[in-house]
Amino acid sequence: MTSTHGTESTAGPVEGPLAPEDTPSTGTAGSNPEAMAAVTSRAREVLPARAVITDRIQLRTYECDGLAHYRVTPALVVLPETSTQLAAVVASCAEHQVPFVARGSGTGLSGGALPRADGVLIVTSRMRTIREIRREDQRAIVEPGVINLDVSKAATPVGYYYAPDPSSQQICSIGGNLAENSGGAHCLKYGFTTNHVLGAEFVTPAGDVVQLGGLAPDAPGYDLLGAVVGSEGTLGIATVVTLRLVRLPEEVRTMLCGFRSTDDAGAATSAIIGSGVLPAAIEMMDALAIEAAEAAVHCNYPDGAGAVLVIELDGPAVEVAHEFDEVERLCREHGAFEVRVATDAAERALIWKGRKSAFAAVGRISPDYIVQDGVIPRTALPEVLRAIAELSSSSGVRVANVFHAGDGNLHPLVLFDDAVEGAGDAADKVSGAILDLCISHGGSITGEHGVGIDKSAYMPKMFTDDDLDTMQLVRCAFDPYSIANPGKIFPTPRLCGEVPGHKRGAHPLVEAGKAEAF
Amino acid sequence: MAASVHSAGLDTARSALESACEEVTDAGERDAVDGVAASTVARPASTEQVADVMRAAAAHHLVVVPRGRGTKLTWGRPPTRVDLLVDLSRMNAVVDHAAGDLIVEAQAGTSLADIQETVALAGQRLGVDETVIGASVGGTLATATSGPGRVTLGTVRDLLIGVTVVRADGVVAKAGGRVVKNVAGYDLGKLIIGSYGTLAIVTQAVFRLHPQPGARRVVTQTFDEADHAQHLVQVVLHAQVVPAAVEVDYQSEGTGTVAVLLEGTEAGVEGRHAATVTLWGDGAQSSAEPPVWWGRYPWDDERSPGGEPGPRRTAIKATFALSGLAEVLTSGRAASGQAQVPLDLRGSAGAGVLYGSMPADADVNAISSVVDQLRSVCTSLGGSVVVLDAPSQVKAAIDTWGPVPAIDLMRRVKDQFDPDHRLAPGRFVGGI
Amino acid sequence: MSAFDAHRPPDAALIGDCVHCGFCLTTCPTYSLWGEEMDSPRGRIYLMKEGLEGEPMTDSMVGHYDACLGCMACVTACPSGVQYDKLIEATRAQVERRHTRSADERLLRAAIFALFPYPRRLRLLRGPLRLYQRSGLERLLRRTGILTRTPRLAALESLAPRLARNVQIPERIRASGRKRATVGMLLGCVQREFFPDVNVATARILQAEGCEVVVPKGQGCCGALSVHNGREPEAQRFARAVIDSFDRADVEYVVVNAAGCGSVMKEYAELLAGEPAYAERAKTFAGRVRDISEILVELGPVAPRHPLPMVAAYHDACHLAHAQGVRSQPRQLLAGIPGLEVREIADPMICCGSAGIYNVLYPEPARELGDRKAAAVLATGAELLITANPGCLMQVASSIQRQGGSIAMAHTTEVLDASIRGVALVRSPKRRRLVDHVRAISKRGRQLERRDRDSE
Repeated sequence: MTSTHGTESTAGPVEGPLAPEDTPSTGTAGSNPEAMAAVTSRAREVLPARAVITDRIQLRTYECDGLAHYRVTPALVVLPETSTQLAAVVASCAEHQVPFVARGSGTGLSGGALPRADGVLIVTSRMRTIREIRREDQRAIVEPGVINLDVSKAATPVGYYYAPDPSSQQICSIGGNLAENSGGAHCLKYGFTTNHVLGAEFVTPAGDVVQLGGLAPDAPGYDLLGAVVGSEGTLGIATVVTLRLVRLPEEVRTMLCGFRSTDDAGAATSAIIGSGVLPAAIEMMDALAIEAAEAAVHCNYPDGAGAVLVIELDGPAVEVAHEFDEVERLCREHGAFEVRVATDAAERALIWKGRKSAFAAVGRISPDYIVQDGVIPRTALPEVLRAIAELSSSSGVRVANVFHAGDGNLHPLVLFDDAVEGAGDAADKVSGAILDLCISHGGSITGEHGVGIDKSAYMPKMFTDDDLDTMQLVRCAFDPYSIANPGKIFPTPRLCGEVPGHKRGAHPLVEAGKAEAF
Repeated sequence: MAASVHSAGLDTARSALESACEEVTDAGERDAVDGVAASTVARPASTEQVADVMRAAAAHHLVVVPRGRGTKLTWGRPPTRVDLLVDLSRMNAVVDHAAGDLIVEAQAGTSLADIQETVALAGQRLGVDETVIGASVGGTLATATSGPGRVTLGTVRDLLIGVTVVRADGVVAKAGGRVVKNVAGYDLGKLIIGSYGTLAIVTQAVFRLHPQPGARRVVTQTFDEADHAQHLVQVVLHAQVVPAAVEVDYQSEGTGTVAVLLEGTEAGVEGRHAATVTLWGDGAQSSAEPPVWWGRYPWDDERSPGGEPGPRRTAIKATFALSGLAEVLTSGRAASGQAQVPLDLRGSAGAGVLYGSMPADADVNAISSVVDQLRSVCTSLGGSVVVLDAPSQVKAAIDTWGPVPAIDLMRRVKDQFDPDHRLAPGRFVGGI
Repeated sequence: MSAFDAHRPPDAALIGDCVHCGFCLTTCPTYSLWGEEMDSPRGRIYLMKEGLEGEPMTDSMVGHYDACLGCMACVTACPSGVQYDKLIEATRAQVERRHTRSADERLLRAAIFALFPYPRRLRLLRGPLRLYQRSGLERLLRRTGILTRTPRLAALESLAPRLARNVQIPERIRASGRKRATVGMLLGCVQREFFPDVNVATARILQAEGCEVVVPKGQGCCGALSVHNGREPEAQRFARAVIDSFDRADVEYVVVNAAGCGSVMKEYAELLAGEPAYAERAKTFAGRVRDISEILVELGPVAPRHPLPMVAAYHDACHLAHAQGVRSQPRQLLAGIPGLEVREIADPMICCGSAGIYNVLYPEPARELGDRKAAAVLATGAELLITANPGCLMQVASSIQRQGGSIAMAHTTEVLDASIRGVALVRSPKRRRLVDHVRAISKRGRQLERRDRDSE
């Protein structure tokens, strides 16, 4: 019995949902027993006993990340505690051609940490030391298992914090953030993970440890670090990360504005951006999302709101004061019937609690749901929201909308009850249609959750074969044998041709007739 | 390849090029790349033409160097050979300015100045300082130049959101898109930035824009001791004034200057500016405009605006952890004094990036020793020293790039993108 | 063979509420210690799911359930409202019925459950324990380091509280001034025998605030330890006896001053849902249960408070804060004491490691958690630690002592009682030892002791 009650799934692949076991993306259990035995034995040599997991019921607890829709039991799980241990496991995987998948806290929403049935899951949760907080350099040096919020907690006493703040920041790991190039509500003003990662000790799929970037910017040579951030674990694993710290602002003003409709709220957003004010964050939630948040955390959002905007301004007190007046005026001009301003940290936290718990909270108003992550140009917001509303009403599938209004990153939550016949398919269809909308408006299929396994089938809708081929050139440079998180991002793996100095037989996928060698 | 076979090859290559692009000419003296003469110059007018040109070049094994507006062709090391110079100056249009979405799309040959002019009409700006007059989008991306504004606005690395490139084999590829938030696929843009044209040719780029600030003010303060400079910089970084830029100018002798740019609303700037003056205490001077040297590389000081560059000076870029400023300034002066070659330093103390200039006629060994010492200091501070440009005899003797960790991985990336090593070979790190 | 049988397995619907978001991980003490999925709430729920799907109840599966402290911090953190408390209780009962633990673990559990829920048996321990503490034997034993080789014994030993003189509480206590409510009071087991002053203080406060206090004789154990360790029939037996005892007493509220007890008594309805004779009575009973801080805030303070100029830190007992959601009331009460500064402890949501008998069964993780809590407590710079559970008190005291620190400790009621009576709060462990020593050996001391006894 697999319960899908309350589980979360996202847009199925374009051709119709495929069970992961049926695709080459996730490997077949028991297909490489000698290789796995060799890697397991090597892992036992270099790792403490508690760090090597082979017990089936324990392995199964790692079957999925935040996207519980796909589950694959890894053949082996390891929890290294040092870079050396991690590199040794990867080197062994390279030697025996065993695929590996990295996992931080397992909270990703695109199945990026979905294990390989024929591979190793390398979990970084024990590499969780904050090594240094360097105030004068405005840098933090941390291990990949460190929790995002903990970096800020450690830096706060010296007046700094780590800016990228995904909604799951109380649990998501820096390593995971790096792999996905995670965003968050405040990336409108402060940028994403890639703008805040300046260096990394990195383990390549060959098991080599290399230094990318560092404390200072603009390291000579290619910006490999820039390619690695957001590569979803397909180019290797970061084992130490140098982060940029940002000065805690003198003042933060958080406001919650109630509007009668998303149209009004969207117009207000455009007006604010157009006026030259750059808020730290502008988040929007529609009525359905508000209902869910209310049920979960009792955030007490304005009654009768068709949409709310959570707007945060930060910076020097004099600037914030001026910006605030401007923003409040513009909100009221565009129909805000209630403007609430947080007067202390507790109120600020409560306003944000509603927004940040939205995904998980939706589970209270619907047995099942799909969360999407499309991006559209901000000016297309009203049109796209209207289109989504039409999709919803014509299909009868409810859609709650939570999103980063400031940068056009939508998180439509497509609600359904899997127990009802055909409801899942209908939801999949609506979810896919929303992604198509994003693409047709010149946007993106993923703003922050990543492609993973969930949206790889959509990549050809957004990119041409040549585009994907070019990206995979990078993959071939880092991972010629395709053992680093294979099956993610790209729907069709590109084979890397001859690797100098190493002759091999035909790739198994070629033999299986599932891929071509270029 | 034997000379005769080579020239015969070039002839057939030439006709192939001419069918790809209508403007193909013999190269002249002014088309030499850092002293290496080119054979042919092609000036395509569109991405498709660039692709056709590159396909022809691939078919005939031509070594290609891309050129934007030629302002930085002498940066890096000289190419081993230049069969074909692909000049992008005809591709100089701003393709689209979506003001409501704060993005602009432009062809690679467009000058930064033209972009700024276009977006200024909507009260916006591209957060890239024009540190080299007349620089093109493509050249800026290829060399990742940056100026004072990088402290808050970032560099092209942070502003590029979409890019179109043509590979060595002529395939056209896009990465990113027209929205700021986008994590679909690899960030190829970052890989291309700073690659000196050795991975692919950029033909079009999309940038995010920022609103023009309402007001700006500058506060400056002079210093004698490097420690004082560090104190001034640290104090303004950790305070709540949020500087848009923090620059330092430290000529080979005499006092240095730290200058802070504040941008924002009228009232806001007023308050923050007053706070800065108070913080810095005696000697803090305030003005509406930044100093004359602002946003200009120290080796361009003797160059009149729009004029020809003088004899080539040694141009270096030093990066370091922010807290190492005093050490860098001090060792720079010490090394310069020891080697008896003047070293002018200037740059973003607030970002840990300084540019240095040494005279055109300085002794090669002296320059070498200054570079070595500075490099050793910066490396220990988590950074690097790169010799961006230098007279040819200096380049021949010096290590341009310094130690490059992960060079093997970089070579493998190059091998994937350009297996025949025909894109600007020799210009980049590790002989790439 | 599947892990669970058909008698009250963990509810599939409740398991389905989990969306695998992972927000519970950082609040879970075992995840914070070990960083592995199987010892996180999300992972344990997944193990339960596996069990329902047909996986067998292996030693490793049981080990992960057993390692759960039952602190319920995950319940507080979960945005989807997963009722992990119900899930783990059901699971533990299944484990108790269907799994055979190792011989020495069975022995230890049997010993614990033969002792702790029986106040009279605990009382028998008092004499020997007092002797052990007052003679040089305790110091000697600790110096030899014998205990370090037997962690569980060491845990027991280090947890043992310094014993106060025992006190008998009358069965009925008249209200002071106008009577506002008639309340029953649970004496507890460990609380009653090892911290009798807390019960005295509780009774005095209730009296001062206008409550007639009824303390039914023979009320027995509330069954908390049994519930939290899956011993379902035993727990039900205790629950029935408690309900009988308090129903006879005919009270409006049943007041509890131990967090673990209060949380279980509020769940009597679920515990006895399957018994027709008790189901309704249990529901009514559960609706009457109040923690002492809850009832005092509900009634509103009438007794004037006198100043207690001290700097204190308040520690949220898990079964008060997470399981019952009672956080603001104790703080409100303490805020009403003039001169008392109450500081918050860092990471307040993470358990101290006491968790009922967890620190006896699993001393190593308990010790580590205790050490972390002790460090956080000491970092507040407070001179007094206030908490609402005897288990927490013992655990934190032992951890602080291990770290070479010292801080006075008191139950919330003892602090409030001192303020109402206008007396100083004398709770220094060092001072107490000295006083005891002096009294024990001096004639004058014996005289004093007699005098104090007479004045009660």
